[in-house]
Amino acid sequence: MVQKIKRNPKTHFEKLSRLYSNKDSWWLAVWLIVLAGVWLWDSLFLNAPALRQIETGFVNTFFIAVLVVAFSLLLSWLWLNGLFLLESADNNAGYWLLTFLMNLIRSIPQIIGILLAYVFLTHLITTGVVRSSLAILILMALSISLFVFPELTDLLLERVAYFRRLDFYNAMQVCGISEKRIINFNILWKNSRVHILNKLIAVAGMAIFLQCSVDFIISVGLSRQVSSLDLPVSLGSLLATIDSKQDILALGYSLSHPGYTGHLFFEHLQGLSVAFALVFSLLSLYKIANGFARRRRL
Amino acid sequence: MKTLEFRIKIESAQRTLVLAESFTLQVPGINILLGESGIGKTLIAQAIYGLLDPQDLNIEMNNQPYSAYLRSSFVHTIRENGFFVFQEPSSHFNPMLTLAEQINEGVLGKAKNETEIFKALWPAKKAAAPQEILRIYPKPYRPSGGEKQRLLLTMAFKKISLTSRRKERVFIFDEPTGNLDDAYRNRVLQLLLKYYRKKPFTILLITHDYSIIGELFRTHGDLMPAIFLRELKRGSAALVQQKEFTVQTYINWINKLQAKNPKSVQPKIVLDLDSGFKTIGKTFRLYRDSALRRQTALRIRSGELVYLKAPSGAGKTTLAKVVLGLIQTQELNLRLCGTKLSAHTPLKYWQRNIWGKKAAMVFQHADETLDRQSNVLQVFKGLPLTTKNPQALLLSTLRELFEKPPDEMFLKQKVGLLSGGQKQKLNILRALLLDVEFLILDEPLNGLDFASIDRVLNLLQQKRRQQCAILLISHNEEIFNQLVIEEQVYYLESL
Repeated sequence: MVQKIKRNPKTHFEKLSRLYSNKDSWWLAVWLIVLAGVWLWDSLFLNAPALRQIETGFVNTFFIAVLVVAFSLLLSWLWLNGLFLLESADNNAGYWLLTFLMNLIRSIPQIIGILLAYVFLTHLITTGVVRSSLAILILMALSISLFVFPELTDLLLERVAYFRRLDFYNAMQVCGISEKRIINFNILWKNSRVHILNKLIAVAGMAIFLQCSVDFIISVGLSRQVSSLDLPVSLGSLLATIDSKQDILALGYSLSHPGYTGHLFFEHLQGLSVAFALVFSLLSLYKIANGFARRRRL
Repeated sequence: MKTLEFRIKIESAQRTLVLAESFTLQVPGINILLGESGIGKTLIAQAIYGLLDPQDLNIEMNNQPYSAYLRSSFVHTIRENGFFVFQEPSSHFNPMLTLAEQINEGVLGKAKNETEIFKALWPAKKAAAPQEILRIYPKPYRPSGGEKQRLLLTMAFKKISLTSRRKERVFIFDEPTGNLDDAYRNRVLQLLLKYYRKKPFTILLITHDYSIIGELFRTHGDLMPAIFLRELKRGSAALVQQKEFTVQTYINWINKLQAKNPKSVQPKIVLDLDSGFKTIGKTFRLYRDSALRRQTALRIRSGELVYLKAPSGAGKTTLAKVVLGLIQTQELNLRLCGTKLSAHTPLKYWQRNIWGKKAAMVFQHADETLDRQSNVLQVFKGLPLTTKNPQALLLSTLRELFEKPPDEMFLKQKVGLLSGGQKQKLNILRALLLDVEFLILDEPLNGLDFASIDRVLNLLQQKRRQQCAILLISHNEEIFNQLVIEEQVYYLESL
């Protein structure tokens, strides 16, 4: 009896079960569907100004996360190539300076670093140097990237160090293939892009978490002067508003008064939608990154 | 003697890996299976021995599902009465048990021929060596590849002795001498065939070392009627065929190889390396004689083919890496392509002036030296080629090296999906395309089939005619002894 090769799924059930077995695709689908469901519910039961605020906060937060991913990738690639350029030029002073700078950035806790960058950003806004919302969003993303990109750089350095130990690297070098090509094409593009993509998913999650944490701290805990500035709305700053806080307190209240639970879905949507979107997005990104790592056997 | 015939089809989820319409074994008999690496020899042997997992692969054996084959009495018998020596000994040993515990595990502890095996596999002056390594764990102490291979073979020889009274004994040896030099390889053959002479059994010996044929012919000629040489050749797609390979084909071919230097107007010294340099805590000495009496500098002139000999693990590859500035060295006195180089020569100098421009090297293990994620064309991208039309040069050389002219599909094929032999050809070709004065070839014939070996040797001769000096490291002594004149053989010792 000939056993057949497993072919591409044909029925809807087969397609669904294939999707479920690929946990990254599955969680991406779940994430998008659930967020769409929350938005639909909110558009039905939440007042228009609050819904607009959530939409803006959500778009801003994810726009910044995407920018952080792009900036981190660019910064770490530039850093890595800079290091190898200095190394091959025997420029020890430059090499050590770059390494020292990286260690300096690494020594500052991410959240403190971003807070300091925000202070600088606030200064730029108050002095009128930066005015447009887009410029502020880009600067916010840059601030976060500056303290996140060392993690990606470490991965790139690890990958290069790993391949440098193998004959692979020397064999190409002694045939005259340039180090630049080996590192950028063979190691990073051909052999590490899956690893990098996996890390970038984690960076996106990290960016959302850090940005919301800092926005929350600024809006709620540090200073009212800062929050009064015209920083774009984000999920973090929305969570810090008095309405959201009351909504979240209502969640606690419903635990001791289960009969109140039904009200949560109609009367406390702003805070709960924001909190849910945040937590669920972070969970989904974590699952997507894990599923991707497992599927690609990283 | 009878013939066992198998129809074997092995498929992964994506593609058919091997399809052998008729794979035969002489029972009892010495079945030697030759062929390029990666063509499916191991997969076929593992399928016959019942080692593949039907959950991972779709397998048909003689038009039956593999699960039915695994339940058959044939598989039970051969596994009870036989042994499978894996190609990579490291994967066979358990790091949590000492080597002594492992070679005496289970029924093997009852064998009484351990001392006899050690005596046969280790030379008299190293008689204490096996007892010393038996006390250790395979990791982290790491016995050499050759030692591990001989210990793994010890287990097989014990099983041969334990089952000597039984029928239907099948012993599979997958590249059992891949980590051994010719002297040790011959010891293994000697012992294996001694047991065979005592009481014949079925041997399936998989190898791509064609020089094993010469040794069998010279030393074990009496067993020729029981030796069945077959070469596994690729048909269309995954179809493989067993083709008969005669001893005479090999003997005639080897006798035709001639050692001569190409004509050169004024040969210039391309490499001059003094003996006695130090690296990784060892001193490396070079000699002109196998008795290691006449110490000398390694001197290679343009167009010369120099053969460097040494036992496994003596540091032949280390020397090659020293010559090309890949390993830091002390007391190095090296002149390469007219340039004096030292341990202090900056990396940038090697990159800009030597590598790929004046000298290059073919590393052993193509699998580890090629980018498996690149496609065939990308392997050659970035090479500092001097020709105006690199694509044409590449295609013409590929045509010389491959049996079938490479088509567009092959050029776009991912390296990781090629067979071991195809990878090795690309590995060699990457260096041969370069217009350099000096080439180092480390085990260039590894994993190649007979026809490819011939083609590679032709290309090397062409390179020599272009006045390229070649330093050769290879365990295929029989082939290169024919091809290299005695004055151009060097011996290496590391202390």
